[in-house]
Amino acid sequence: MTLNIPPPDILLQLSLNGALGGAMYGVAAVGLSLVFGTMRLIFLAQGAMIILAAYFVRALFYGLGIDPFLSLLIVVPVGLGVGWLVYQGLFRRAAAEADRNISLLIAVGLMFLIQNLMTVVWGGNTAAVVTSYTASGIEILGVRTSFTRSMGFLIALAGTGLVVLFLRSTLVGKAVRAASEDMEAATLMGISPHRVNAIAFAIGIALAGAAGVAVATTFPFNPFAGFIFSLKALVALALGGIGNVAGALAGGIILGLIEAYVQYFISGGWTNAIAYGVFLAVLMFKPEGLFSRPYKKA
Amino acid sequence: MLKQALPQRAWTAIAIVAVIALALVPLLPGAVDSYAFSFLFFVFLYAIMAQGWNLVAGFGGQISLGNHAFFGLGAYTTAILWTGNYLWGSLYDSHPDIYYFDPVTMTLGGLVAAVAAIIIGLPLLSKLRGDYFALGTLGFGEIVKVMFINGGDFTGGAFGVVAPAGTFDTLLPHYLVGLGLMAGVGVAIRLLMRSRYGLALIAVRDDEMAASANGIDVLKVKVSAFAGSAFIAGVAGSLYTYYIFHVGPDSVFDLDWMLLPLMMTVVGGTGTLLGPILGALVMYAVFDLAKIVVPDYHPVISGLTIILAMLFLPKGLMRSFAGRARAA
Amino acid sequence: MANRLLEVNNLEVAYGDVGALWGVSIHVDPGTIVAIVGANGAGKTTLLKTVSGLLKPKRGEVFLNGVALAGKAPEAIAGMGIAHVPEGRGLFRQMTVLENLELGAFQPKVRKHFKQSLEKAYTLFPRLKERAGQKAGSLSGGEQQMLAIARATMSDPALLILDEPSLGLSPIVVQQMFSLIETLHKQGVTILLVEQNIHQALKVADYAFVLKTGELAMQGTGADLIADPEIQKAYMGVLEVQ
Repeated sequence: MTLNIPPPDILLQLSLNGALGGAMYGVAAVGLSLVFGTMRLIFLAQGAMIILAAYFVRALFYGLGIDPFLSLLIVVPVGLGVGWLVYQGLFRRAAAEADRNISLLIAVGLMFLIQNLMTVVWGGNTAAVVTSYTASGIEILGVRTSFTRSMGFLIALAGTGLVVLFLRSTLVGKAVRAASEDMEAATLMGISPHRVNAIAFAIGIALAGAAGVAVATTFPFNPFAGFIFSLKALVALALGGIGNVAGALAGGIILGLIEAYVQYFISGGWTNAIAYGVFLAVLMFKPEGLFSRPYKKA
Repeated sequence: MLKQALPQRAWTAIAIVAVIALALVPLLPGAVDSYAFSFLFFVFLYAIMAQGWNLVAGFGGQISLGNHAFFGLGAYTTAILWTGNYLWGSLYDSHPDIYYFDPVTMTLGGLVAAVAAIIIGLPLLSKLRGDYFALGTLGFGEIVKVMFINGGDFTGGAFGVVAPAGTFDTLLPHYLVGLGLMAGVGVAIRLLMRSRYGLALIAVRDDEMAASANGIDVLKVKVSAFAGSAFIAGVAGSLYTYYIFHVGPDSVFDLDWMLLPLMMTVVGGTGTLLGPILGALVMYAVFDLAKIVVPDYHPVISGLTIILAMLFLPKGLMRSFAGRARAA
Repeated sequence: MANRLLEVNNLEVAYGDVGALWGVSIHVDPGTIVAIVGANGAGKTTLLKTVSGLLKPKRGEVFLNGVALAGKAPEAIAGMGIAHVPEGRGLFRQMTVLENLELGAFQPKVRKHFKQSLEKAYTLFPRLKERAGQKAGSLSGGEQQMLAIARATMSDPALLILDEPSLGLSPIVVQQMFSLIETLHKQGVTILLVEQNIHQALKVADYAFVLKTGELAMQGTGADLIADPEIQKAYMGVLEVQ
């Protein structure tokens, strides 16, 4: 294989598009990271939740004429509520069980359920949200790129920033971090596992809502697109280090870059294999993630 | 509960009687052409897959989310060996049916899957514990799928491979081989779990550190359970090839081949011998019924069933039996 | 009985089918230090974990100030005034010293007094003030144990439970640890202490219980038990028999 080094402007274009797209994996991964942190649950339905949010955004746009980006003000609070309800209704009992397969299977069941409900309601065809600005571009660093992608990036950045702020500077946020590190010790402080789990879920689904806005405005989507999103978010999670929230966003951006480069230099068909290959390699050789901090658990 | 009233010996007897009864089903007039016959074939197939998953996850405590990859590897191995006639040379010309349910081909299907499991399992299981292993196997499944899509002529790309004999007149051999494999896998796992190896596997699951302190080679035990699980899935994939003939990446690497057996095992009871079989029967019946009664909504029903089963039956149908199996 | 801070009656605990405690009864009076001693695997940690709600007993009762703790979750029991420093300390190693202390005062009741509690903790453990911004995992073993105890005192607990505080510490630090326990005692903190360092534990304890393979073997004042030839023989290596 000969590697042609492309001109710098194309390289910049690739990097920019990759990073902007990857941020969406990142914001999905931040939600997964929170839920995994407190419940040790791989919430496989996260991607389905994102697509559900995308359909919701689409319905708000075509039904009520609400601008997709403006609908963040609706989608995010609804996500918080839905997440809280999903935890209380579906996961609360399973969280108390030592067998974590149960939670995993409920997540799988939820994924099936959401995917197929979406198919029943909106049909299995590809859907999209087309606004007046969908095709418009803006210039960043002298490179033209899509306006909606850039907005998606900003949403991811803001969402992650808010979550980090919450975790670092509020007592409840600190309780969530403490529970992620050692649930038993956290309960000895008087922290209720159900409370932190519900908070993690609420924020996780709210982030899925935000990601849904980004997806709806950027890509065409269908009811089954969510699973691959969950997988990509897991890759981002592993790259960033499980339990490292800001790392999850960075992991998403790195994944986006990898995908963009592989697509350009090798072939689109190998994108996923290489992305998962990197995932496996990180899990095997650096399971604490690329940005591991010192003083890991002994 | 019902099970508590029954000693293990009674369960063994029920299992033997059930297998004999199922083996006699084809003798019933019209049975072979009935819908129930193909229904049972799929129950056997899923029960085998569920047994395989149960070996590594239920008895071994390592959650594999990659068993669909092993199923697909077994299916592809069978189809490729057959299409390319890599095994039987000129014998194939005189015996055109030689690849049909050929034990050598089917074993190779299992072996390819087992070797893949060892290659992937050694690094994953020596470094990763629990959830990381689950994530790693999930990634592995996707990699294998993409590799087969990009495998060129050898794997037939996105279309896949079509086995030469394109159809069959009767499901009888599928049924009997499926039943035999299900029973065989059940007996093998039962013998295995009563051996020193089985005790070691349970010990590793329950307390890795204590097992290691007692001189058990933890990595070896885990990797071999993973390989055994893959072997079973590979053989099941091989069996499926004889049913579907067209082996394509989207059909045999479908995530359902991992998720459904996993779900069936948990519903039936993880870490029990008969749980996976019972779970396969019950869950496949639910899905199939939903498909007939509410065709448009059946995947919704499937999703709902999983959630309801986990909410109200989290320990599985065979749980109390498990207490006994574990103590044995 | 009416004065008892903690009352444990006929406690039976099992892991699966394996019994760990068989009908153990202990009690702690307010303002005292009570030690539970015994060999490895005698059930000491199991007893503590059952008191703080981490394990559910098969049989028996636990009362705190006369209120039954049966069926209460560990976080609720923590809220009722039991602060448990578990074996291995249970620090949040990725979080800073200050954050650990903040979480010690997580319960709404004590959150209000956070400033005063922190002042008090810093007076008692000046080292922690210097290291407030450091990650807990970066502290030395002795400092970590200090932090774990300081964190537990942040909730101004009715009962402070310490599980093997001297484990893995150098002899000098162990001395500091025990003098700290006496200081806390003088401040009026009630302490339930599990120790393998039996001599030290009996020296500071007002009263002690001896556990042997899940059963109560002996009890008495610390001074009585220290003088007991049986105890000396079995646990303090005065005579190496067997």
